[in-house]
Amino acid sequence: MLDTLTSRRRWGEAIIQNLFLLCAVLIVLVICGVFIFVGYNGLQLFTLDHTNAGTFFTSTNWNLDPTEGKVSYGALGYILGSIVTTVFAILIVTPLALGMAAFMTELCPKWLENILRPLLEIFTGMPSVVIGFLGLVVLVPWVGRLAAPIAPLAATAGYGWATASLVLVIMVLPTVVSISIDALRAVPASVREASLALGSTRWQTIRNAVIPAAKTGLATAILLGTGRAIGETFAVTMVLKAQNALPANVLTPGAFFQPNINVPLGIVSYFSEAPTPAAHAACIMLGFVLLIISFLFMCISRFLASKGVYK
Amino acid sequence: MSAHQQSLQEATYSQNELHPARRERLVRHLHTNNRIAMVVLSLMTALVVIGFLFIIVYLLVQGFPYLLNPDFYSPNPNTEISILPELYNTFYMLVLSEIILIPVSLAAAIYLVEYARQGLLVTSIHLAAETLASVPAIVLGLFGYLVFSSLLGFGYSRLSGALTLLCLNLPFALRLFEEALTSVPRDLREGGLALGSTRWQVIRTVVLPSAIPGIVTGIVISAGKVLAESAALIFTAGTLSPRHPYNLDPLIGSDTLTIHIWYVQTIGAGSYSSADAPTAIAGGSAALLIIALLLVNIGARSIGHAIQRKVMST
Repeated sequence: MLDTLTSRRRWGEAIIQNLFLLCAVLIVLVICGVFIFVGYNGLQLFTLDHTNAGTFFTSTNWNLDPTEGKVSYGALGYILGSIVTTVFAILIVTPLALGMAAFMTELCPKWLENILRPLLEIFTGMPSVVIGFLGLVVLVPWVGRLAAPIAPLAATAGYGWATASLVLVIMVLPTVVSISIDALRAVPASVREASLALGSTRWQTIRNAVIPAAKTGLATAILLGTGRAIGETFAVTMVLKAQNALPANVLTPGAFFQPNINVPLGIVSYFSEAPTPAAHAACIMLGFVLLIISFLFMCISRFLASKGVYK
Repeated sequence: MSAHQQSLQEATYSQNELHPARRERLVRHLHTNNRIAMVVLSLMTALVVIGFLFIIVYLLVQGFPYLLNPDFYSPNPNTEISILPELYNTFYMLVLSEIILIPVSLAAAIYLVEYARQGLLVTSIHLAAETLASVPAIVLGLFGYLVFSSLLGFGYSRLSGALTLLCLNLPFALRLFEEALTSVPRDLREGGLALGSTRWQVIRTVVLPSAIPGIVTGIVISAGKVLAESAALIFTAGTLSPRHPYNLDPLIGSDTLTIHIWYVQTIGAGSYSSADAPTAIAGGSAALLIIALLLVNIGARSIGHAIQRKVMST
């Protein structure tokens, strides 16, 4: 009697354990599926239309519709747009995020931290479209008024890479600050105490003891922020104001203040109404490029994190 | 002792024995630097905080008049500024994706925390979760389109959208649930096992009840992510409101509140009879989303603790 009870229990136990294992393995299947499906369907571009697809990474000429002249899949303009907006956003985010994280871990009184933490959490989960809408109604007119003299067209001066970078700053900053705070928190108090005991000022302690001790964690924060910035879609595409091509004057400052493009914009504007299978594949290929870039950033940040002393 | 070493020692000696006036100057210099740095750090934080508060207050204030307009919630399909269908769809998708998400990610978290031994399997699952969390939402949208809409044949539908949201939320929910489970002390499990219970009995009767606050927090946070998501949905759930939205049919395509904001501000902006309608819809919906997010963030922790108090008292 007891025997059958035990064996039935053991069976039940094994079934439950394998069921749970299946759920855990599901996540591995999903990520493999993402790489396989997006990669396979994107790379189809090079077999479906191999005469025109060779210029994907080298040309800025993007025309998917055969009825509108020669087909061309040059995605360089989109990629350039993503790189430019991301680099400018990260250049603004890095000092602000590090400064704010240092303030919140080293200087901030407890009551203030209890107010700032939830504020950061709310902005970490902020819907992309809400910030895009804010960009349209607040940032676009504001940037437009400031940049009207140097923009090629005063009426659209508020749209483009400059506003997109600002929107990215709002989207990425909270994440970078939160991860930086965790990195600074991971530095043990003994490091600070040792530095202060040697007669350092607070600033010397922060600059010469705490930040160097947390540097891998801080680098991880910035890299993860960069990965997020590259993949950010709606907030940015709303203020870029859809256009299909890189403007001609891309090397002048005016290029920042006119409607422009980046990778997610290309996907959003062309994927749903791609005229040919090759055009469809070209849009998925843009997505694959995004996937690979953000994967690389994830790998580098993981590698750096594994080098860190304090976790 | 070589002459070089001697001169080095003299140099350090003279450095340690600074002239009082020079030491005074050095100290003053360091203190000024310190004060400047503190002011700069505080100003940076103030700038960010004021900016963030401005955004919240601005969005609430500009959207408030639209929220008071009864037409905004009108069930009449001819009222163009009504967002009731989108509200219903958002809620529907939220419930549908959470119904699948909670058991799957909780089971995965239980496996990782309670059953698995540290090793290759656990490492690769964690690596997979981290990679999935770093995938841009728009790429997950493409994946959802390729797999759920095309391969499995669900088309542009609520089901495709909910399954894509599941993929998006899986790594986050997994991490939050894992944290909730690891926070339960070891002694409780050992006590249960020592009484002769099987592992599953211990998990069900000891671990899960103690982990409830963390689990509820995780559920609420992932719900917030569903409310905020947009890029993963345009290619899976579509961008248009269905003709008859108020039903439980999972195979009709429908838009959510976030998609609707994007639609009326970009491609759909010209299709409204009054020019103010897109601003009214987007402004009101943005304010509504902000309010929902505030509630989620305030609620996430307090609900968890309230539930635990109830569970523990019975």
